[in-house]
Amino acid sequence: MSFLLVLPILAPLTAAALAAVLGWRPLTASVTVVAALCVLVTGVILGFTNGSGVRFAIANLFRTDALSITMLIVIGTVGTLATWASVGYIDAELTHGHTDAKGANLYGVLVPVFLAAMASAVLANNIGVMWVAIEATTVATAFLVGHRRTRAALEATWKYVVICSVGIALAFLGTVLLYFASLHAGATSGDALNIDVLLAHASRLDPAVTRLAAGLLLLGYGAKAGLVPFHTWLADAHSQAPAPVSALMSGVLLSVAFYALLRVKSVVDLAVGTGFLRTGLIIVGLLTLLIAASLLVVQTDFKRMLAYSSMENMGLVAVAAAAGTKLAIAALLLHVLAHGIAKTLVFLGSGQLQAAHDSTRISDVTGVLARSRMVGVTFLVGLAILLGLPPFAMFASELSISRALAGAHLGWVLGAALLLVVIAFAALVRNGTRMLLGPPNPGSPAIAVPRSVAAALVAGVVLSLLLGLTVGPMLELFQTAATVLGGTR
Amino acid sequence: MTQATYNGVLNLAAGAFLLAAVLIVWRRELRSIVVLLAWQGLALAAIPVTEGIYHDDAALIIVGVVVLLLRAVVLPLLLVRAVGTEPHERRESTPLVNTTTSLLITAALTVLAYAVTRPIIALDPSPATRAVPAAFAVILIAVFVMVSRRRALSQAVGFMMLDNGIAATAFLITAGVPLIVELGASLDVMFAVLVLGLLTGAMRRTFGGTDLDQLRELRG
Amino acid sequence: MSAATELAGLTATALQVLAVVAGAPFIVGGMRQVRARLEGRAGGGIGQPWRDLHKQLRKQQITPAGTTVVFGFAPAVVAGTTLLIAAILPLIALGSPLDSAADLFGVVGLLFLGTVALTLAGLDTGTAFGGMGSSREITIAALVEPTILLAVFALSVPGHSANLAAIVSATADHPGQLVSPGSLLAFVALAIVIIAETGRLPVDNPSTHLELTMIHEAMILEYAGPKLALVEWASGMRLTVLLGLMANLFLPWGVAGAQPSALAVLIGFVAISVKVAVLAGVLATGEVFIAKLRYFRIPELLAGSFLLALLAVTASYFFATPT
Repeated sequence: MSFLLVLPILAPLTAAALAAVLGWRPLTASVTVVAALCVLVTGVILGFTNGSGVRFAIANLFRTDALSITMLIVIGTVGTLATWASVGYIDAELTHGHTDAKGANLYGVLVPVFLAAMASAVLANNIGVMWVAIEATTVATAFLVGHRRTRAALEATWKYVVICSVGIALAFLGTVLLYFASLHAGATSGDALNIDVLLAHASRLDPAVTRLAAGLLLLGYGAKAGLVPFHTWLADAHSQAPAPVSALMSGVLLSVAFYALLRVKSVVDLAVGTGFLRTGLIIVGLLTLLIAASLLVVQTDFKRMLAYSSMENMGLVAVAAAAGTKLAIAALLLHVLAHGIAKTLVFLGSGQLQAAHDSTRISDVTGVLARSRMVGVTFLVGLAILLGLPPFAMFASELSISRALAGAHLGWVLGAALLLVVIAFAALVRNGTRMLLGPPNPGSPAIAVPRSVAAALVAGVVLSLLLGLTVGPMLELFQTAATVLGGTR
Repeated sequence: MTQATYNGVLNLAAGAFLLAAVLIVWRRELRSIVVLLAWQGLALAAIPVTEGIYHDDAALIIVGVVVLLLRAVVLPLLLVRAVGTEPHERRESTPLVNTTTSLLITAALTVLAYAVTRPIIALDPSPATRAVPAAFAVILIAVFVMVSRRRALSQAVGFMMLDNGIAATAFLITAGVPLIVELGASLDVMFAVLVLGLLTGAMRRTFGGTDLDQLRELRG
Repeated sequence: MSAATELAGLTATALQVLAVVAGAPFIVGGMRQVRARLEGRAGGGIGQPWRDLHKQLRKQQITPAGTTVVFGFAPAVVAGTTLLIAAILPLIALGSPLDSAADLFGVVGLLFLGTVALTLAGLDTGTAFGGMGSSREITIAALVEPTILLAVFALSVPGHSANLAAIVSATADHPGQLVSPGSLLAFVALAIVIIAETGRLPVDNPSTHLELTMIHEAMILEYAGPKLALVEWASGMRLTVLLGLMANLFLPWGVAGAQPSALAVLIGFVAISVKVAVLAGVLATGEVFIAKLRYFRIPELLAGSFLLALLAVTASYFFATPT
């Protein structure tokens, strides 16, 4: 059983090692897809066999409970889709000369390392190990963002590395302070940062120090999750990265960073009461929604538009976490999963549009539905999911979040959030229809779709439909996860 | 080692640590601020070594030596190599905030650090914890340096100073975090600086210089 | 206090004032001589400032047209405040009749009064040079006065008293404090601001009359004859007094106690003379090797010394451990 717990980390690392030795070729690319699939399958198996328990491995450094299993499933799903699409995407880039063999090799090594780091973060029982894993994701994705070696990509990489490193450093300071408080609450120095130990000692943690730590952790992990005030790297990094990497970053990395915040929240709420982080998350969430919605209205670049949509969703997730009830957390997790798949669909489609037009301006792209059924339909489906239209899952999750906010007496927050979501909705609809519907401009290039990208897109649509129509077995998992986090009611 | 010597050395190390940060704000030559960073790393390493000697903890002393090698030797060397050889690259361009105002802001940040860390000292009033405000002040000063400088390398130095400050806080209030976390943190810092160094080189090749004001293509 | 010790205290104070009055030109002359010798010149001799003062006192009194009583009284105010400071500070003995006023804030206030008087006199002349010198001087003073306060305050923290005599005796009793971070930082900060306050290099060149570089000299450009003598004398006394303060704060040995005997007073006199002379020599030697800072860099230097003084205060407060 312990082997199963570390498989999600070992499998991608093995793929990375193989890619480092052999370089980018069909074999190594397929091994990476298999590794991502392993993560997903492990998550599913654990989901069926775990129930409501918690399991530990390797000297209590790793744990699995319903929450980490949920995150594993998210990482596995988006990871499989993205790595599957990467096969065709990178091959197309190599043929068109947008990258060279060295770039492809680097890509092949860094993507599975990225997956392994994310898996380690959600499986970690020790908050310190979780921090190390999240820092590792920054380092791994730095050169992935700069894959294209253009001036804009370099600028995006610099901003990304600097801002996220500052954020993560602040998160480390928060972790150190939490360790300090934990030691003084009676924990032994070896496992003072373990989540189960922290939960057990939570009532004895010094409130003032814990509040200081919580503030720093909110700022620090919020930076990685794209929340205000350290959000300025998000649009640049997600728009300059190659499409499958954008999908991974938007779809999963932001959620993994937010997962870290959720874990910390469960401890802090027991120590100082729910009020402190609730206020913090509301302020941060609403500000993020405000900035994302405002910038969505004036967007002229479709990849940046998608990045701001991710930011908007993370703001919504933050507001949901502020409510803190079981319903809110379960809805939040469903939202994260559905958003991950939807972002993969739209980013993969936009990657093909960028490859065809060699530009990411909205005004350059018209009549996509008429030109390519594959990209057009899947982009439309992805947008529909993001807009929260039924029968897809984000309709249910946003509805549940609204109910949860109302039930937690946060009516004014709900009102503000709904208003901003509607503004974002309008902006997305306007740009989406401009790009998809109507006749194409004369002289528009043909949109080629490599086979693996097409396969990934179709699989994504199928998964979204399944998720939207039958949440069923996942629902129990989400609810158990919510209980694990100490959700009340 | 007597209690008095322990107090004295710890205070001196923390004082030198903060003084190095202040001098980094004051000076403008890129080479000298990297040298100051190395001295700061030395002051930082003195803290776990002193604690290790006082508490008879060999692991702490080893950690201190590793910190010394990493933050006082290896990383400053990496940064020095990235400083470049052209004379116009060696100086910081006019910072966004002039030196006088920077120094006065640094004074305000120091006072802020003392105010913010009062709950920490209240929880554990030992001589080591009483030096935490100095480390916290360095953290605040480092964030200020990163925000107000225009050269890529100055930002990298600011980031390293931020990390030094956090490491100092960790050593002072808890005699270090668990070994595995410390190892992971050091590795991550090293990788981050490597990445920054490589990026600086790429920037020089693509943009012809490392003035961050040139990075203005991505807006809105 | 018995009559004998009270007399001894009065004698010490009077001796202090007389020593400062008589010795200040010698200190200035000595500094010029050290510089001259190091620069390979013969120099005018230690007594040259006395000869200059004598010459100026015999000249005719000239008052520029359009100046008011401010211009007229400023030299007297500067000299008077400096004499008062000389009487208050614990230079030769700790127990002076003015002990209760020997407060840190009082001394700094008197220093500032003198600076302001001279600044107003510079403005009063209505000339471009006067105004320029005054504005430069007050810019510097704005940063210097808080720093002096903070630096000496940092030294007063271990003794828990802002009374200068108490600070000196506390340092004399616990010499180990001198190597604490607070004292070291306070020493550096105080050295920088004393150089700024007395108008020495690298802040101000005392022998220049170029428009670009004058600060103190610009303010007193319109003075001639006896008033100029008074102003120059007062400047020399300020330098002596501040050097004496520095010496006794950081090297307090040799200062006579609160109720001194005649022998103690004599020892104190010799000790302070030696200390001030040595400090003046060191300062002069340093001036040979430093160039004057460009004017816009001076606020940087002073802001830095302010920061060091602030750090000294925090270091003294928060690093203080029960010994």
